[in-house]
Amino acid sequence: MMLLRCPWCGPRNVTEFRYVGEKTSRPDPATTTPTQWRTYLYTRANVFGWTVETWYHSTGCRQHFSVERHTLSNRTRPVQENS
Amino acid sequence: MPDTTGNYTGPPPVARSPITTVAAGRGDGALTLTDESSYGKLLVRAAATGPMATALGTRFGRTSRDAGDEALVVGSGPGEWLLLADVAELPKLTEWLEQQAEADPDLVSIVDATHGRAMMRLTGHAAADVLAKLCAVDLSDTFVPDGGAFRSSVTKLVTDVVRDDAGGASTGDRPSYLLHCERSSGQYLWEAVADAGLEYGLTTTAAPT
Repeated sequence: MMLLRCPWCGPRNVTEFRYVGEKTSRPDPATTTPTQWRTYLYTRANVFGWTVETWYHSTGCRQHFSVERHTLSNRTRPVQENS
Repeated sequence: MPDTTGNYTGPPPVARSPITTVAAGRGDGALTLTDESSYGKLLVRAAATGPMATALGTRFGRTSRDAGDEALVVGSGPGEWLLLADVAELPKLTEWLEQQAEADPDLVSIVDATHGRAMMRLTGHAAADVLAKLCAVDLSDTFVPDGGAFRSSVTKLVTDVVRDDAGGASTGDRPSYLLHCERSSGQYLWEAVADAGLEYGLTTTAAPT
């Protein structure tokens, strides 16, 4: 069982959450190019190591939050300041 | 039936319980499961730290009986509260909430969900053992003391779990848990809890009238 620590509810079974995806910054729709927008929508870094992700606690507090996860070990930790 | 102005003029609506198999169990009464779907249920959403939060007197994960008469206020989520009270108390409670909402500069919503939710009470020394078969959250006194509340997956169903020993006072000092879920899942949750409690001698009863 993989545990994920919700900042509101504490550690819970990962089945209580929905994976939203890698955290990316949304470009300004008014000034972005089609290529930038396509990259934002579909391209993922898929890193090997620590990555910042967004999760949704669907069966708990129903809040979105960011967390860092190691894609090899599935260890998680709060988002670091410089991430 | 609505009159020409659209206002309802008939008798007050009846909140029927979605739980239909309220059969007496085989236990000795030491562990009971009671259908309490008839309780009034108000959902309140507001800023987590605004005037409404102050008036309600509790936060996410805790309960309070300070607001209104006999109302149990449950901090069911960040900026989200569930108020449980007798149906007859709801008009007065709603009026009080609306007064509090006027003082809150942020958006406040108050929704009567009495008709749309099911609720049951599990009381007895083995209540935590029964719930532990259905829910992965640690139910020890350290994490869920009397007055504690959380929302989690209970038998894979989104359920508000509220520890309210005082509400089960008539049964002594045993722990008592309120389980609150969507109406359409009430029957399923009832049968799942009743089944889990069989080995502990669970007795199922209808709501007190």
